[in-house]
Amino acid sequence: MRNIVIGRYVPGSGFLYRLDPRAKLLALIILIVAAFLIDSFLHMAVALAVVLLLLLAGRISVKRVYLGLRPIVFLLIFTFIFQVLFNRQGELLFELPLHFTLLSVPVLVLAVFFWGFTKKFIRFRLIYFIALIVGIFALLHYIDQGIMFWNPTFAVFDEGLQTAFFIMLRLIIIVTLSTILTITTKPTDLNLGLEHILKPLKIFRLNTEEIAMIIAISLRYIPTLLDEANKIMLAQASRGVDFKEGNLKEKVMQVVSLLVPMFIISFQRSDDLANAMEARSFVPGRNRTRLHVLTWRALDTACLLIVGLFFMAALSTRWL
Amino acid sequence: MGIEFERVNYQYTGIDEKGYLALADVNLSIEKTGEFVALIGETGSGKTTLAQHMNALLTPSEGRVRIFGLKISKETVKGGKLRLNPIRQQVGLVFQFPEYQLFEETVEKDIAFGPKNFGVSDAEAKERAKKAIRSVGLDESYLERSPFNLSGGEKKRVSIAGILAMEPDVLILDEPTSGLDPLGRNGLLEVFSRIHRELDKSVVIITHDMNTVYEYANRVLVMREGLLVYDGDPLKLFSRRNVENWNLNMPDVLKLQRELEERFSLTLNTWPRSRGELLKALEEVLS
Repeated sequence: MRNIVIGRYVPGSGFLYRLDPRAKLLALIILIVAAFLIDSFLHMAVALAVVLLLLLAGRISVKRVYLGLRPIVFLLIFTFIFQVLFNRQGELLFELPLHFTLLSVPVLVLAVFFWGFTKKFIRFRLIYFIALIVGIFALLHYIDQGIMFWNPTFAVFDEGLQTAFFIMLRLIIIVTLSTILTITTKPTDLNLGLEHILKPLKIFRLNTEEIAMIIAISLRYIPTLLDEANKIMLAQASRGVDFKEGNLKEKVMQVVSLLVPMFIISFQRSDDLANAMEARSFVPGRNRTRLHVLTWRALDTACLLIVGLFFMAALSTRWL
Repeated sequence: MGIEFERVNYQYTGIDEKGYLALADVNLSIEKTGEFVALIGETGSGKTTLAQHMNALLTPSEGRVRIFGLKISKETVKGGKLRLNPIRQQVGLVFQFPEYQLFEETVEKDIAFGPKNFGVSDAEAKERAKKAIRSVGLDESYLERSPFNLSGGEKKRVSIAGILAMEPDVLILDEPTSGLDPLGRNGLLEVFSRIHRELDKSVVIITHDMNTVYEYANRVLVMREGLLVYDGDPLKLFSRRNVENWNLNMPDVLKLQRELEERFSLTLNTWPRSRGELLKALEEVLS
């Protein structure tokens, strides 16, 4: 749990650290919109290259960003599979009739159980899992004896595959860019930047400073609360809670034994934080002066201009 | 055959790739019975990490720990086949801020939570809860109360009772008396001392209070920057010159003795454990 990098600031040097947070936030928004505008393999490749270049130029370790991507791998795979399964446009690439019959379904269940029992003894679990998936498809295709319940066809279409691939790439680009932002920007700077960016919303009578403060505080507390959760898990493990095992009733108890203390700690922490802020004379909504005032430099303008160029290029791929 | 550490290293893998070495080449053996061990050292020296190895909450990065004959190392834990849960019953660990582990509706249920997890029947768990609440110096009327309406000190006692009710063979306490008033602290220490004396169980206590170390412990471990730098008799520890180097204070009794020796130019060749013993030694010298 200590490895989660979402929302964490990592001190360092490099030009990304020197940019104005406002410029970085605007650039992030523009680049994300641009990532949704492009839709060809060539342009996607260019976009990925730009992101990679940004990482290298900012001297941010690619390994660290990859670690940040790990929690969303499941989401990536999930969206990919759904797109492939349900987007049936374009040319047919591959087709496989499947048979859910009185014979094939029990065999399928047996295969899954067999996999569940034997996976502990296999070294290369990922390969074993892929073998299981392939095996399931083979079973459903070749066993067509018995009464048929359902007879779907597994089919892959070129456009479905393409959109699935694009959506995955877009998600990777978005998460990487946001990770770059949080890694290179101090929470306080991010807060200031957000406040400035949200200012136009004031005409709708929104209290933008408070919104910015709320966002900044929640980002700040993600790692702290994760650490606390880890501690409580260890403490409850000492009292015999086995988080790996247990039936449904025990599982509920395990979750309760973690959640109740987490709630109490979160409330206590927010109470403490509110008191600490008040002790420093924080009054919501009151105008405040700043210790560090954001300064917009030529570098920021240049950065936004380049980002703007990318955006125009992305736009032109769509309408020209 | 108690808890044995063999060349144990433990590395925290942090967000930066280097990681942080919290335990470096620790060799150590704690018997199942008869020991009262004080574990001391500055904050960040690895005391808590060491304690969390003793009931297999943490697995060594290198080396191995044997807990009642069960070998805990990276290789043995990896497969997930090792049942670590029984160890947690045999070696009871009280965390530094145990009040955060409370979650049940009543104190009784919370104390009974641990024993029940280890397969103790409801009736027996309730019986143990009664015994445990009394042993930490609270009366039985507390059993029906909500653990969240207690004061800080009471919460601490209740959560310690929760571990005592598990009836572990070895008891490990991570700063159990921090945040308690002197009277409450002495009361709790008496409880641990009684468990040690009467049931002949080993107790390991992490503390910053040198009086606790000196009065109760028959063995002391000093941690410094992940290294176990001293393992032995508390008397010898305080007679050493390098006590100051390790940022340790002298116990009050010894300070008093030194003061008296200097002021009245006496030499008392004793190591009194308490004020009573010091008084006795004084009487002997003066008579």
